Amino acid sequence: MMFEVAAVALFPAMFLALARAIAGPTVYDRVLAVNTFGTFTVLMIAVLGFMTDQKDFIDIALAYALINFIGTIAVLKFFAVGDFGYQQESKK
Amino acid sequence: MKQHSILRIVTKLLIPLILLFALYVQFHGDFGPGGGFQAGVIVAAGLVLYALVFGLDTASEVIKEWVLMVLVPLGVLIYAGVGVASLLLGGNFLDYNVLAHDPVHGQHLGILLVELGVGVTVAAALTTIFFAFAGRGRRNPTGQRIAQVADLAQEPPR
Repeated sequence: MMFEVAAVALFPAMFLALARAIAGPTVYDRVLAVNTFGTFTVLMIAVLGFMTDQKDFIDIALAYALINFIGTIAVLKFFAVGDFGYQQESKK
Repeated sequence: MKQHSILRIVTKLLIPLILLFALYVQFHGDFGPGGGFQAGVIVAAGLVLYALVFGLDTASEVIKEWVLMVLVPLGVLIYAGVGVASLLLGGNFLDYNVLAHDPVHGQHLGILLVELGVGVTVAAALTTIFFAFAGRGRRNPTGQRIAQVADLAQEPPR
C-alpha cells in the first residue's frame, strides 16, 4: 500500500516539473526542470521495482540517474560554450 | 581549470563509482540485468563525463587515441578467439562446453570471456565516437589543432 501511495504522489510532482520545462522562460529553467523530471523518473523506477518485488529495478534506476547527470552536464556545457570538447587551459 | 570547483570535485568522486558500477554490471550480467554491452556503455559514460568536465585535451591524455584504436579490435578478437578456441578443441564455433573439463565450467568461462570482449569493444567504440564528435572541426588536414569554437565566439566563455 505504501508504495502505491508513493507512486501516485509522484505523478503531480512530475507533471509540475514537466510544466516548468515547457513554460520555462530561460534555457536554465528548462534544464533544471528536465533534470528534476529525470530524478522523479529514477524514483518512479525504484518505487515500481519495490511494488512488483523485482529488485533488479534498482540497477536500472542507478543507470538512469547516471545518464541523467551526464546528460544535464552535457547540455549545460553546450549552452555555456557551444562546444563539447572545450578546455579552459588549452594545450596547443 | 580553477572554475567550477563543485563540478570538478563531484566528478572526481563519482568516476570511480561509475567504473565500479560498470564492473558490477559486467560481472553480474549472468544473474541479473546487464552484460558486456551495458557495462561498456557505462564505462564510456564515465569517460565522456571526464572529457566534458576537464576538457577534450586532458581526456585524450588520460586515454590516448592509439589505445582506443587497439582496444576496439581487441574486444572483437577476444570474442572470435573464444569461438576459434572452441573449434580447435573439437566443438562447434562458440561451443562453450568444450572449453573446460566440465561443461558447466566451460559455459561459465565462455560467456565470461565473450561478454568481456563485447564490453571492451563497446567502451572503446563509444569513447572514440564521442572524441570524434567533440573534436570535430578542431584539426586541420595535417592533424594540427586549430582554434577552438569558443575562442571564435563573440562572448567570452563564462
